[in-house]
Amino acid sequence: MSISRRGFLGGLAAGAGALTATKKAHGGGGTRDFPGYPGRFGLLHDTTLCVGCRSCELACSEVNHLPAPSLPLKDPKVFDVRRELSDKQLTVVNRYREAGDGKPAVYRKQQCMHCNEPCCASVCFVRAFTKTPEGPVLYDPSVCVGCRYCVMACPYYALSYEYDEPWTPRVMRCTMCYDRIKDNKQPGCAEACPMGAITFGRREELITVARERIRKHPERYIDHVFGEHEFGGTSWMVLAGIPFEELQLPAGATHTPLPELTSGFLGVVPLVLSIYPGLLLGIYAFTQRKERMSQEELNSAVAEAMERADEETRQKLAAATAKATKDRDKAIQLAVKKALAGEEKKRKEAAAAAGEAGETK
Amino acid sequence: MSQQATGRILTPFNAIAGALILLGGGITLYRFLYGLGAATNLTHLNPWGLWIGFDVMTGVVLAAGGYVISTAVYIFGMKEYKPIVRPAILTGFIGYFLVVVGLVIDLGRPWRLPYPFVVQAGPTSALFEIALCVALYLTTLFVETTPAAFEWLGWKRWRKVVGAMTIAMTIFGLILSTLHQSTLGAMYLITPTKLHPLWYSSHIPIHFFLSSVVSGLSMVIFESMLSHRVFHDQVELSKEQFDNITIGLGKAASIALAIYFVVKVMGVALDDDWHYLATGWGAWFLVELLGFVLLPCILYAVGFRERRAGLIRLTGLWTVIGIILNRLNISIIAFNWQLPSEARYVPHWMEIAVTISIVTFGLVMFRWIANRMPIMHEHPEYKGMH
Amino acid sequence: MHTLQEFMTHTKSIAYVLGGLALLGFIAYWLFLTDRQPRK
Repeated sequence: MSISRRGFLGGLAAGAGALTATKKAHGGGGTRDFPGYPGRFGLLHDTTLCVGCRSCELACSEVNHLPAPSLPLKDPKVFDVRRELSDKQLTVVNRYREAGDGKPAVYRKQQCMHCNEPCCASVCFVRAFTKTPEGPVLYDPSVCVGCRYCVMACPYYALSYEYDEPWTPRVMRCTMCYDRIKDNKQPGCAEACPMGAITFGRREELITVARERIRKHPERYIDHVFGEHEFGGTSWMVLAGIPFEELQLPAGATHTPLPELTSGFLGVVPLVLSIYPGLLLGIYAFTQRKERMSQEELNSAVAEAMERADEETRQKLAAATAKATKDRDKAIQLAVKKALAGEEKKRKEAAAAAGEAGETK
Repeated sequence: MSQQATGRILTPFNAIAGALILLGGGITLYRFLYGLGAATNLTHLNPWGLWIGFDVMTGVVLAAGGYVISTAVYIFGMKEYKPIVRPAILTGFIGYFLVVVGLVIDLGRPWRLPYPFVVQAGPTSALFEIALCVALYLTTLFVETTPAAFEWLGWKRWRKVVGAMTIAMTIFGLILSTLHQSTLGAMYLITPTKLHPLWYSSHIPIHFFLSSVVSGLSMVIFESMLSHRVFHDQVELSKEQFDNITIGLGKAASIALAIYFVVKVMGVALDDDWHYLATGWGAWFLVELLGFVLLPCILYAVGFRERRAGLIRLTGLWTVIGIILNRLNISIIAFNWQLPSEARYVPHWMEIAVTISIVTFGLVMFRWIANRMPIMHEHPEYKGMH
Repeated sequence: MHTLQEFMTHTKSIAYVLGGLALLGFIAYWLFLTDRQPRK
């Protein structure tokens, strides 16, 4: 798999950084430890013994009824290019360091790591993956919907997808030869390896074996068993004589299983379900209440204003009526006065006329 | 431009839209006949491409206006935004419908989509929760769209029934949206070694939720600007009323962006990722953070202070572009960032064509519904009841 | 329970079912609480 070393280091540093910054995700499991199924199997890949013969690739293709590797086994030019896993090739051997300085070339076999806490199983929304008590992680194509979240999530890029199958595409990956294991046989690759670079056995025992090898030959090995703890540990473990980063393995990565990161957040879901309904109805009721109160305040203010308006109007009306009455009385008095004065004048004039008439007789 | 106005079916827009939709349909058929490999550039290293990164992930966040506006109007009682609730809900409904269409085309065996609910559930998966929430939310949005349909059909009793469900649907929609918007981000929690550290954070779900609020508001600003023009013969708002709505939304969007900005900066601090800012990826991250988060926050604020609706509408479009950029960064661009360039993913032209075709179909759906049903205006028999 | 995955599957299945029941139960509870209030 072609990943630039600098990039990968960056990626793993980032991963480690992100994970240490995260408060330990206790969205599940509380403070419990999950040691996994006791006595489960694993494989130890000793890269110092691997010579790049690719017998494992051939055996794998035979056991899984896949086409044999297209490139000839004996041709060393095969290693000039980094090859990837694919839906037709469930394991692949790559060269990570060329021969030189009197030291042989360094090869590593790549395949599904059969993690203790597999990301693929965690992210599958139809539970198509199972970590078996024997150790292998199995895939059930009969429920797979083809969302490919597993392919996206696997930190080892171990999964492939049959993009060329229109109706029955499956996820393809190493199965640790589960059927053979159940039959008390070794996985095809372990049996085929002529150099003993692949050892099959109980995972716990293999860790002891690995430590023992390191102890016996400290000049040959980096003092680290990759896969013992990384991301919660894997079934496939690796020993190396060159830094693991050069082998494109994230040694030193966190021991936290990656699924714990998801489960930490998913613990929020029940919280939202429990809190939101009451909270939102409460806010709604509160908003309604505020609206109702402000409506009531408005109503009472209007009523009050109307009342005050009524009162004022009434007073105005009374005053106007009083004034009108006064004016009318005044006018009447005036008219009466006028009439009386007129009458008086007429009487005086009539009397004066009568007086004149009496004098002339 | 409305069909009812001219009565012509073969307008330039319709011709182009029709061609695009047919092209997408043809490619979809090809994809199902010959497999995903024939129509996409997906690989074993890059199993998720444009159809997930844009059609599904960006589609969901762009459809967030539905829950944001309906919550504002019905839960928080902000009645002044009632005129835009129906367009927002319709955008949401069509948006989520398109998400499902895109998803179905991308899935390896889409006919098995109901499996997690009826055959075997994987409750540890973030995707399980998303699938459940999106299915329920699409239903909720559908119910929230039916009042307009029933008014158009004249089915008074049905209209009354769904009208009474408004509050319950709004609350349910807010619950579901909070969950699935954030969980879409949570899907990436399990890939700390594959997503670039500047975008990866244990708080990614919060980032996704906050940006969904930003996206909802900005999409509504943008969509209402377009709808106001396209359906101007239906709209009953005065220019002043419409501008006031835009300006109010701009204020809310500014606040949401401000919060989002601070949270994103905290994310960098939390994981001590400052040194990444000095890299090429850091520069790209800053383009997104400063150019498409901080800048629109300021522009929205200025637009609100000076009551410039035009500036706010422009900023709406800019922000939407920024949201699309963010989702594409996380799903395609900054994902698998450390793979060598020959192993990086670039969409196949067929993937792009199908995406464009799906969006076009959504626009046509929107137009068809808005031209017939009381979305942009109130139905005369139901005035004041919306 | 040997693995975290088994534990999570178990607890989350229960959590989802409880969540659904809680939502339905809440609706019933709310109706019970408010059905004697005067409806506007």
